[in-house]
Amino acid sequence: MKNSLKAFQLLPALIISAGLLSNVAQAHFQLLYTPESALNEAQAIDIALVFSHPFHNGYPMSMGTPQEFYVIQDRGEGIPTKTTDLREYLKPVTWKNSDQASADAFVANLPKSVTRSIGDYSFVLVPEPYYEAAEDKYIQQYTRAMINVGGAPGSWDAPIGLPVEIIPLDKPYANWVGGVFRAVVVSNGEPVPNAEIEIEYLNHDPLIDQAIFDPIGKIEAPQGSFTTMSVRANDRGEITIGLPKEGWWGICALDLDNAETFNDKDLSVDAVLWVRAYAP
Amino acid sequence: MNKGLLATVLSGFVSIPAWGHTPICDCYDNGDSTITCEGGFSDGGSAAGIAMRIVNNAGKVLIQGEMSEFSDYTFAIPENNFRVIYEAGDGHTIEIDSRDIEE
Repeated sequence: MKNSLKAFQLLPALIISAGLLSNVAQAHFQLLYTPESALNEAQAIDIALVFSHPFHNGYPMSMGTPQEFYVIQDRGEGIPTKTTDLREYLKPVTWKNSDQASADAFVANLPKSVTRSIGDYSFVLVPEPYYEAAEDKYIQQYTRAMINVGGAPGSWDAPIGLPVEIIPLDKPYANWVGGVFRAVVVSNGEPVPNAEIEIEYLNHDPLIDQAIFDPIGKIEAPQGSFTTMSVRANDRGEITIGLPKEGWWGICALDLDNAETFNDKDLSVDAVLWVRAYAP
Repeated sequence: MNKGLLATVLSGFVSIPAWGHTPICDCYDNGDSTITCEGGFSDGGSAAGIAMRIVNNAGKVLIQGEMSEFSDYTFAIPENNFRVIYEAGDGHTIEIDSRDIEE
């Protein structure tokens, strides 16, 4: 009887532990979200900057004021790129998920003039380092999301000068569902062999005007291993991922720095790239 | 609907190999009585030197020039309706109606 009671008492603890283990499987991802990546013409666009877990209803974590937030416009061969600081458009918001967990985040309502020209646009966010208490370290994710206007490409396959980057080998803004996306992970311009990569599907669409995640997810994972997909780069720092579902896929290359610190604690310098897939 | 990018692709192949990709052109009103058109190709190639013609409804050429080294072309807005013609080689012509050009 005693043993049965102990087992009964143990059950909630096991359930809680299982929940915690599930949370461990969720990866931190810096979102730099706008609904569409391939625009036929210039238009005003909204962007959500949220630090979150994209597969699981995006449990948000508070962001500090971004260190940098800008866009690089690239119209193609022979035309100088143009970089525009976008920090003036940042508006702080309180972002919630369906569990009413909330965190400090930002929204940017960009006027049509920002994407007035045809070509590629690389949105870049350098956030403040985030303190991850569970690991007693800081995380800083250099994040890039690309869109294109009008179908005229720029140098989408070139590095953009960040200390850590995921350099595309396919256009991040123009992918069919069922295809693959390839890229090279670099740190200070050098490929990172065997880089540790996490991939998550943005399962709950950000509803920017309400500052929430859509409570209804688009897919269900059969098991925890599928929420954050883990892969390794090859010996040339190259990665290839499949794109089985329409929407945004986040790729995060972890801890690409050389033992950097922040506030006397380890700083994981990550590179994040968002890739958009469209259904045929 | 992207009216500004409406392409009229005629038959035949491009005669200049470097232009062997889909031509792209978009125009916008600068709000100062001028219009800027930007050109390019689906492979990211330059549109520098591509002929630009502004014609009226009767087909009369009102203004003509070419894309700059930065693949753009700016002209003063004519009084009446007009069409912008981006001549990216045989079979690769784009026409944009002035009524489809926005700020």
